[in-house]
Amino acid sequence: MQPARPDWYRWPGGRETMLRFGPDSGPVLVAALPLFGEANRTRALVVTVLRALADRGVASVLPDLPGQGDSPVPTEDARLADWRTAFAAATAAAAGDRVYGFAIRGGTLVDGAAALTARLHLEPVAGTQVVRDLLRTRRIAHAAAGRSPVADDPRAAGPPLLLAGNRLDRSLLTALLDAEPTRADRVLALFPGTDPADRQLAPGGAIDGEDRPRFRRPWTAAEPFADPALATLLADDVAAWIARCEA
Amino acid sequence: MQFEGTPEIENAIRAVLADTLGLSRERVDAFRPETPLFGSLPELDSMAVAGVLTELEDRLGILIEDDEVSGEMLETFGALTTFVVGKALT
Repeated sequence: MQPARPDWYRWPGGRETMLRFGPDSGPVLVAALPLFGEANRTRALVVTVLRALADRGVASVLPDLPGQGDSPVPTEDARLADWRTAFAAATAAAAGDRVYGFAIRGGTLVDGAAALTARLHLEPVAGTQVVRDLLRTRRIAHAAAGRSPVADDPRAAGPPLLLAGNRLDRSLLTALLDAEPTRADRVLALFPGTDPADRQLAPGGAIDGEDRPRFRRPWTAAEPFADPALATLLADDVAAWIARCEA
Repeated sequence: MQFEGTPEIENAIRAVLADTLGLSRERVDAFRPETPLFGSLPELDSMAVAGVLTELEDRLGILIEDDEVSGEMLETFGALTTFVVGKALT
């Protein structure tokens, strides 16, 4: 099986890298990672899924978005509108017969402008939750340093906020606060939540005598890990979904 | 999500800490009320806290307000349990 190939795409703001997996023909899946720290903790899982999809004959691309990952754009210059534009450009550059979207967590906020045949979302999350998690990290870091808590209001004018190691412009945070996941054609969830999903990958209820999910969620874990069983399950679901869409 | 009482919630908290921090089941089962967490547990740094809080919210159906997030509520296993039980059973 071919290894992942480095590739790139052009968007109005510049050029970004993307990884290409699988065959050179047929439908192509474009993956949108979660945002910020969750991206680091989820990337290994997503790459494992994309490799597994390649084994199943499904091509895919994993683009860097401007201001994320190895992008040359400083994080401080990252804007939600740019992420959406760039993801749409990456989708066009995927150059598949039909292009499908696979977005996870905060990635479900950036795929709306892309010309996708269909969208699959794994645990969509509202932008307010993304910002809340960032502000929480800052609040705890302040507490740990013995500093009194500061009321950070991204909507108030001010310099970029240093959140979880990222210097983020307030306009990005404000845009995220107003952002909702795109409407998806299929929604997967790892753990029963209040939002309906087409499929729960880890059905609730007693497992081994404990009421806990069958899979650990990578995005809330402290350290990155890639569960091969979860990757296989996701790859099977995505491949079957694409096959149904193609039929 | 319906929880009958404190022991059930306590077990859910242990499971969250095990899953988010990558701790063994044996280790979290040994946590006592006085077991120190934030500030003592190397796995639980400020970045890991956000994940713990999200998992607690999602599994227990509670909402933790911004001004409730502090070092105190995470200082010991007992402090965390008291806080979460208070939110889950109201």
